[in-house]
This record gives sequence, C-alpha cells and structure tokens, in this order.
Amino acid sequence: MSPWERRKRGGLYYTRSRKVNGRVVREYVGAGVLGELAARMDAEDRQRREEEAAAWREERERLEELADLVDEFCREVETITRTALLADGFRRHNRGEWRKSRDQKNSTEK
Amino acid sequence: MTKKTAQRNELAVQHYEDRPIGSLQEPDLAAMTKEERDARRDTVRRLSDLFKKAEKGDEKAVPEIRKILQESPDLAWRFMDFATLAERRFIENMTKDKDLASRETMEFQLAAMREEVAGAHPSPLERLLAERIVLTWLQIQLFEGLYASSMFKSMTLAQGSYYQKRLDHAHRRHLSAIRTLAQIRKLGRAVQINIAEKQINTSG
Repeated sequence: MSPWERRKRGGLYYTRSRKVNGRVVREYVGAGVLGELAARMDAEDRQRREEEAAAWREERERLEELADLVDEFCREVETITRTALLADGFRRHNRGEWRKSRDQKNSTEK
Repeated sequence: MTKKTAQRNELAVQHYEDRPIGSLQEPDLAAMTKEERDARRDTVRRLSDLFKKAEKGDEKAVPEIRKILQESPDLAWRFMDFATLAERRFIENMTKDKDLASRETMEFQLAAMREEVAGAHPSPLERLLAERIVLTWLQIQLFEGLYASSMFKSMTLAQGSYYQKRLDHAHRRHLSAIRTLAQIRKLGRAVQINIAEKQINTSG
C-alpha cells in the first residue's frame, strides 16, 4: 500500500503505517513539503536499516564460516583421540574416564 | 605413488622430536584440495562409525580402527595443515589487511602458546590436542573482542545474543579440549599411540 493517500479534495497526504498490538495503525504525517520531507527521511531510514541488515548478514556468514572450521577440527581431533585410545587398548568406563582394558592389562603384566 | 605422496609419507615417518613444536611448518596446500579434504573427512567418518560400533561391543571394530590408523601414516599432519589454515583465517579476520606487525605478533604468541601447552617431547596426539586448545582459545579471543567492541556501538538484541551464544560455545569447546589433553596426560606413558608414524605402539 502506498504511503501517499489521495484526499477527496485532490491533494496527496503522506502517511506512515506501523503495527500496534498486532493491528496496523496509520499515522497521518502531512501533505506538500512536510509530507515530502517525511517521505525522504523515512526512505533514508529504510535504506540505512537495509544496509545494516546486509552488513550483519555478511558478518554472521564470515563468523559462521570461521566457527565451522573450528567445530570441524575439534570433532575430528576428538574422533582421532578416541579411536587412537581404543586402538591402544583403552576402554571408556561408563562413557567417561578412559581405563586400560582388562585384557590389555593382563597381556602387559605377562 | 606420486612424488608428492612419497614426500609426505617421508615427512610423516620423521620423528616428532625433530620438528619444531611452536611454529608449524608451512601447510601443504595441496592437501587442502577438495579431494584431500573429502578423503580426510571420509577417514574420520569411518573411524567415528567404528568407534560407535566398538562402544556397543563389536570386537571386529578395534582391529579395523588399528588398520585405518596404520594405513594413514600422515593423518596427524593432515590435521595440522587444516589447523594452521584455520588459524591463519582467524588471524586475517582479527587484524587489518596491512597490519603485518599485529599478524606477526599474533603468530608469535600462538607459537609460544602451542609450545607451552604441548610441553617437552609431546606425542603426536598431544600435539594435535595442544593445537586444538590454541585454536579454540583463538576463537574465544575473536568473539570476546567482537562482543566487547559491539557494546560501544548500537547492538541489536539479536546481535548481542548471537555473540553470547557463540562465546559460550567457544568456551565449551576450549574447556573440552583442555580436559581431553589432561586425560591423555593422566594416562601418562601408557599412551604411545603414534598416529603420524608407520606403526602403533601399544606398550602399557
């Protein structure tokens, strides 16, 4: 819906719409120079917000990419560590502490 | 076997004690190609699946794990390359383009930290875990810096909670990395797993 409303007398009137408690409320700003000025200010405001949102999206993508690198590295190192311990005869006790498995202990004691 | 692979395998069997701990060697960029990356991910995926099977009591899983580790003598170094590249990306993001002095300082600080965390004569596993500690610490520095600097600007609620969430996640990763290294150290000399050399010593 255009923010410019045509009045019965023929002139254009600048309006602003915003939501209040889920309902759209129309605010009547003015006609002529006042309306033009308000329209220009709103347009600048909108552009600034769009630019800020785009910059934040870009920043987030950059940070996500970096965080993903660390997450991937951590996951992989964890897998390597766990499997290397298993390969070396250790077992995880109750999904927590690593202990030398009984078979391995016996074989090394012998 | 290509000349490149032969060179890398030769590097892989070189003793860790012969290599500098702090400053890592130049990462092998060829090892960062999509094929290599996919191969590394595939190896880790196989190991992860086998680990799950072993935890459920599948006795065949452990010999298979040993086989994979033996067949990948340069596995640890491939991870080191990955970590070095990740670290550089962080440094690039945390410093201005032309600020070479800051970059150099950060690299030096990280090298010193890596050396201190890894300790004297670290095993390949300890090195890898030390690397993880350094990388997760770097991540905390990045998010803490961003969060602190945003407080002086107009930060939206969504931005604030995003930084906070990322910072919490980075802290958890860092603590987990420290805990794992401490666990390995606690197990002491019993752990002789050599994931960068031709064989796995299972001495207790």
